[in-house]
Amino acid sequence: MTDQSMLSGNPAGKSRWFNAIDPISKLLLILDMALLSFASTNLLLEAGLITGGLLLLLFSKVSSTTVKALGFSLFLIFTMLVIQGLFYSKNQTVWFSIIGINFYKEGLIYATTLGSRVLVIILASGFFMVTTSISENAKYLEQSGLSYKTVYVLMSVCYILPEIMGNMRKIQQAQRVRGVNPQKTVIQKLKSVLPVLIPLVIKTLDQSMTRSISLQLRGFDNPNRKALKSTNRYRLVSGLHIGLTFAAIILIGWKLWTKISGLL
Amino acid sequence: MKTESIHRTSMWKFKLSAATMTLIPAAVGINYVAKALAEGLKLPVWLGSLGTFLASMLAGPVAGAISGFINNVIYGLTLSPISTVYAITSIGIGIAVGILHAKGWFSSAKRVFVSAIIIAIVSAVISTPLNVIFWGGQTGIAWGDSLFAVMVANHAPVWLASFTDEFVLDILDKVCVAYLAFFIYRQLPQRMIRFFRDDK
Repeated sequence: MTDQSMLSGNPAGKSRWFNAIDPISKLLLILDMALLSFASTNLLLEAGLITGGLLLLLFSKVSSTTVKALGFSLFLIFTMLVIQGLFYSKNQTVWFSIIGINFYKEGLIYATTLGSRVLVIILASGFFMVTTSISENAKYLEQSGLSYKTVYVLMSVCYILPEIMGNMRKIQQAQRVRGVNPQKTVIQKLKSVLPVLIPLVIKTLDQSMTRSISLQLRGFDNPNRKALKSTNRYRLVSGLHIGLTFAAIILIGWKLWTKISGLL
Repeated sequence: MKTESIHRTSMWKFKLSAATMTLIPAAVGINYVAKALAEGLKLPVWLGSLGTFLASMLAGPVAGAISGFINNVIYGLTLSPISTVYAITSIGIGIAVGILHAKGWFSSAKRVFVSAIIIAIVSAVISTPLNVIFWGGQTGIAWGDSLFAVMVANHAPVWLASFTDEFVLDILDKVCVAYLAFFIYRQLPQRMIRFFRDDK
């Protein structure tokens, strides 16, 4: 989150293939991959989508954030495999046994399908996260017609956050010097949170007030404001938007049709 | 100066003023650091909705809902993609806190407890379908998931097991966050409360 390259955009100025794809197309790609994954229960298709997501990441760049998100999800998927493999309500066929505990085929397949969908979303979003900077998103969103106020709200979070984290470290250090230390029991720990959180919240809100006053003084509400210009050159923008939106509509329609025909 | 009765009737009034524009990112930031602090101290709660609570209390349910929504979108696009879908839960929390605060349910310690239970129910009701769709009903927190496993093993319906798993975690978290927000709000200078409340 505090990574400067993430905030300021293409750091080296070298344009790569993914810089030619606009942010909205990337978001539509996440939507399409997620919808395709949810529309089907075919594990081969899920494996194909996961491979596709992995290839997208490998041919762009792999960040520690994606690896962390994957690590957490893989752990959860593992627990899901255990719980559903043992207790899924439609379990009938024993697939294998470990020290006398039976794991059922139906539950394991169900958990694998759910886990694959999660992985598809994480990998596709990971591609968006590592290839699009926050400032690029902001410029593009404003150019696409989103109000600059909304863009400011979205973007300023990423700039304010390192400031708040810095304030927290200072306050924690100051309270430690005064003898306020994390305690052992949960109640004591919760109580020790207050001496840090109260000054931190007041300082954060105070800085917000100052920021708000300076925004007003600088004429942020001026209707003749100049829009930010994006330095990226995107290719096939409208073609990608139309194609990916059309694919999303077909996938939603397909899913709805299979649900309705299942009820009839 | 506006009177209290006007505030009550204008609970839903919302304008993206300069004050709200800076309050929302601050609320998202507070959510983030509170969560980081809880993780650092290894507390059994998330505290990740403290900023949303405060934004709702200061500027009303709409500002709180937007803070919650943006919090999950930013978190999802930078750290954990799946958390984006839980933006719906955060919107629900923001609206619930805003309404309860405007109706005076954050005025005393006893009332805060009732508010916390209502907010936990709102949060669990919205999160349960998402947990079932994405995680087969689990929450990812070990002791909540153990309860889920025990209930499913005893042939309880997945929806009920998932709701119980989410609710026991939510009740603890929301009680802690509601009391933290209550104590912090009482410590805020009046000029600050008026600044964010009157600037609509």
